[in-house]
Amino acid sequence: MFGWGNPELGVLMLALFVVCIMFGFPIAFTLMALGVFFGYFAMGDLIFNLLVQRTYSVMTNDVLISIPLFVFMGYIIERANILDRLFRSLQLAAGPMPASLAIATLATCAIFATATGIVGAVVTLMGLLAYPAMLRAGYDPKLSAGVICAGGCLGILIPPSVMLILYGATAGVSVVKLYAGAFFPGIMLAGLYMLYTSVMALLNPKLAPQLPPEDRNVPLTTVLMALLTSFAPLAGLIAAALGSIIFGLATPSEAAAMGSLGAILLTIGYAADYSKPRNLWIVRTYGVLAGAFVVYLIVAAITHVEVDRYGVGAALFVTLIVGLALLPGTKFSFVQLKESVFLTARTTAMVCWLFIGSFTFSAVFAYLGGHEPIERFVTALNLSTTGFMILSQVIIFILGWPLEWTEIIVIFMPIFLPLLKTFNVDPLFFGLLVALNIQTSFLSPPVAMAPFYLKGVAPSWVNINDIFRGVLPFMLIVVICMIMLYTFPQIGLWLPNQLYR
Amino acid sequence: MDRLLLLVDEISTWVGKTAGWCILILTLTTSYEVFMRYIFLAPTAWAFDASYMLYGTLFMLAGAYTLSRNGHVRGDFIYRSWAPAKQAKWDLVLYILFFFPGMIAFVYAGYGYAKLSWLTNEHSSASPFGPPVYHYKTLIPITGVLMVMQGAVEVIRCIKCIQTGEWPKRLHDVEELEKVVLEKAEHGEIQVVKELEELGVRKGNI
Repeated sequence: MFGWGNPELGVLMLALFVVCIMFGFPIAFTLMALGVFFGYFAMGDLIFNLLVQRTYSVMTNDVLISIPLFVFMGYIIERANILDRLFRSLQLAAGPMPASLAIATLATCAIFATATGIVGAVVTLMGLLAYPAMLRAGYDPKLSAGVICAGGCLGILIPPSVMLILYGATAGVSVVKLYAGAFFPGIMLAGLYMLYTSVMALLNPKLAPQLPPEDRNVPLTTVLMALLTSFAPLAGLIAAALGSIIFGLATPSEAAAMGSLGAILLTIGYAADYSKPRNLWIVRTYGVLAGAFVVYLIVAAITHVEVDRYGVGAALFVTLIVGLALLPGTKFSFVQLKESVFLTARTTAMVCWLFIGSFTFSAVFAYLGGHEPIERFVTALNLSTTGFMILSQVIIFILGWPLEWTEIIVIFMPIFLPLLKTFNVDPLFFGLLVALNIQTSFLSPPVAMAPFYLKGVAPSWVNINDIFRGVLPFMLIVVICMIMLYTFPQIGLWLPNQLYR
Repeated sequence: MDRLLLLVDEISTWVGKTAGWCILILTLTTSYEVFMRYIFLAPTAWAFDASYMLYGTLFMLAGAYTLSRNGHVRGDFIYRSWAPAKQAKWDLVLYILFFFPGMIAFVYAGYGYAKLSWLTNEHSSASPFGPPVYHYKTLIPITGVLMVMQGAVEVIRCIKCIQTGEWPKRLHDVEELEKVVLEKAEHGEIQVVKELEELGVRKGNI
């Protein structure tokens, strides 16, 4: 057509796609249609074969299987009504620190967002729970808003996150390595957020006044009890799921399935009616037994003693029985389970159909050789590796303004990936930088999901511009974090290198 | 006409929700496999094939359900600011230009693919257990037909919207938590937000 070669057609296809996104049509179908049109033009009837084969490869993809399982776990925990107890226990624990409410908010956000992975839910729920608490305590509305928005987004970085699974499936990088790699950068980002908040509070105590003494000086036993009953179970669940993946005990999908089952049991336990002495008695006994068993496992791991298989089996059996015993008195209902199932179906369908579209599109794009002109163009720029990294991260940052992370990962990553080889960049390392970078796509206008959700539940005297101003320093911290990771790649690469040599 | 619209919605929803329960089965079978393998050293032969089939069935059959809930992700940073009638016009054009050609190709290609699999009595080569996969492949054309049906209903919705200037109502269903909370907040139904409004007034007075 017009004397154009195939590679130029590929670029045309990509350009058309970028234009078509603007019209707001579902992206999965836009990708599929463009793939079919251009594919038919280039290879004739073969495109039909390609289309079904790509579809079938999504249907049998052993990386993507873990997506519905993690999403399901997230919805179960989201609907379990455990957030306020979690927040209260962490608030007690953070009592004496400067800006204690903000620190507790960040910690709650980090752990809850990690468990659920649903940014919108975390921001709105914390907006109803922590935001009023901070405003009542006289905290600066801007700082408080920044803390909630930034904290709510941590869930897509700190593993086990769905975003890293998507990146792994797109880039062909092992999800296990990505999880191991993202662990320390995630902790580092959360730590820097907390550091920034406490330093600001120390410099200007008006931003975050101290709580009244009765909230600060809580007896240690009360704090420990609160942490043990509200924080430890959820943290333990995440740690078990993540640990078993990172140490190679289970595949991500197995860990996710066990995590979902654990989440259901946890929810039953949390929602049980403890006014009945029987339930309290069961849980206390179980708590002591489980604690002893965990100690036994740790000792066995340290001294390399063979663990009794039947012992582990019996422990799991007891867990199941305790869960079922609490079932009759629990507020966790079939309705909650049903809602989680249906929402999981919709979210999974959304993500996986996007993959069907994108796999088809990128197969046609590769067949046409659309990468060549792009590669030639980038090579002609004569960039150094650092130059390329900066350019690509800036592009992803800017893509984050109008787009959400799913689209950036599934659609635009395949364009960057072939270039990584040219510049000798490890796709694992690139993925970690992207995961950090994408934090900002939730925070930056015009499609700043997190600030707008918070605005939706904030009182009318909190301006959207105030929220943006509060979020800005946290975006800068993300950039600082990226620079640190780029300068010291070992922050991310040390753990995977150590574990999977 | 309305009844036909809602009937198709109901079919998609019913199929999608039924397939949704695959996630619970998937959770249980995978957990069972983990128990058997790590604790009793007796891995099951069928767990691997079962897991991807359950996952595939889940998202394929939920595709039309998701479409009926307008749940497929859009790059809607401009779209969002349009009036409903304008949104509907562009949707209508793109359904005809993109959705139907793509989906009809999907059905056509999927039909041939599944037919070949039935004719050759194809079994899975991914595991030694090797269950038949022709049923699984048949899901592709079935899904395609469901999507085309639901797409047709969406087109009618677009036309109605262009006529009336408002998006027709959808069936009631469970929504994402943030959507529910934001709607409640908008109607002033949340006590905490009201209290905060008063806090602001008091501050203004001081």
